[in-house]
Amino acid sequence: MKKQEKPKSGMPLLIIGLVFVAAIIGAIYLYNSGSGSGTTSTASSNSTAARPTPNMANAPAGAPVGVNMLGSQTAAVTVEEFADYQCGGCAAVHPVMKELASAYAGNRNFRFIYRHYPLAIPAHDKSYEASAATEAAGLQGKFWQMQDQLFRNQAAWTANPNYRQIWSEYASNLGMDVQRFQADIAGIQTKNRVDADIQRGRALGVSSTPTVFVNGKPVPFSELNIASLRRIVDAEIASVASAQQSNAAPAANANQ
Amino acid sequence: MAEQEVPELETPGLRNLPLAAGVVALVGLADSVYLAVKHFTAEPVPCSLVEGCEKVLTSPYAEVAGVPIAAAGAAAYFIAFALAVLAAYGDGRMWKLFGGLATLMAGFSLWLIYLQAAVIGAFCQFCLISAATSLTLFLIFLTSALISKETSMK
Repeated sequence: MKKQEKPKSGMPLLIIGLVFVAAIIGAIYLYNSGSGSGTTSTASSNSTAARPTPNMANAPAGAPVGVNMLGSQTAAVTVEEFADYQCGGCAAVHPVMKELASAYAGNRNFRFIYRHYPLAIPAHDKSYEASAATEAAGLQGKFWQMQDQLFRNQAAWTANPNYRQIWSEYASNLGMDVQRFQADIAGIQTKNRVDADIQRGRALGVSSTPTVFVNGKPVPFSELNIASLRRIVDAEIASVASAQQSNAAPAANANQ
Repeated sequence: MAEQEVPELETPGLRNLPLAAGVVALVGLADSVYLAVKHFTAEPVPCSLVEGCEKVLTSPYAEVAGVPIAAAGAAAYFIAFALAVLAAYGDGRMWKLFGGLATLMAGFSLWLIYLQAAVIGAFCQFCLISAATSLTLFLIFLTSALISKETSMK
């Protein structure tokens, strides 16, 4: 130990302050960019530029534009999940689907589409409204956040008569305009989006949830785990890449 | 001019350690801010090197009393960075405080690694980066302590 002067200049405080400001700006940037890019919620804005066209998203003809999608709009491999917010199996599979989307985040050959398929059974009395609630959250750019909240907290609201209050709390916690959210749940725009997904599910013969398709092929419930899904998706990606190569080869020969 | 007793940081080889610690703390800060933002936006985190990121990040251990661990980590890394910068500019007391904080962070990281390996059964690559940075901060401090001890014994 020895006598030592305290730092005289304000330089350390300046550096610390700059890093603090940079961290805050970085967090705000990440927050804003994360809520918009990469995710396509039903109607996070009136713009349709970031959304796939109905055709690209395999939506039925005449369905409203906009689907809830993660990943590349031009991906060769599409994982499409039909789910119900009051279905226990869907809540159980939810982390798996998030994990899958994480595993392929940034992979231009992969995209994940979430479809509402609220079952019309007495035990699922709030399911349709829950789908509408996530679409209402989507109108404020918070579809995936609300979807996550509803699945993660399914047990807390599914049998609670005050479920709307609980959803409003989620909306408030997500920084949403709660009054607008409540009004939008009953709005025609959200209803149309949910109905469009149901229509697509019926067209594909979906009868239970969760139902997952990989490039249109149904995945058995027993294989809705991360290892099996990754294997299936990897096989699809490899098959698409192989088909692209074989298509490219004759074209290259023809040019010679 | 105020003078006070502070730990030795003038030993050759020690001067650069707070700077190195500051750089490592910045890496940890960036990593934690990223994870904290992803926690609040509930968006998937890329998981290319290991499997199970979502399982880890959505586990009950991702929050303590409603506070995301990632946010607490970001605060800890920022404080560690501030202490390292002050120490780099000659304030030896801050280096001691840094050592205490780095020890706590390293211990907490080891506990989190244990949770991932033994309880959750999955790893999250960004959590492992955070663990690596906090353990590195502790090793940097340990190195400085050993060099100081060696120097004082000569």
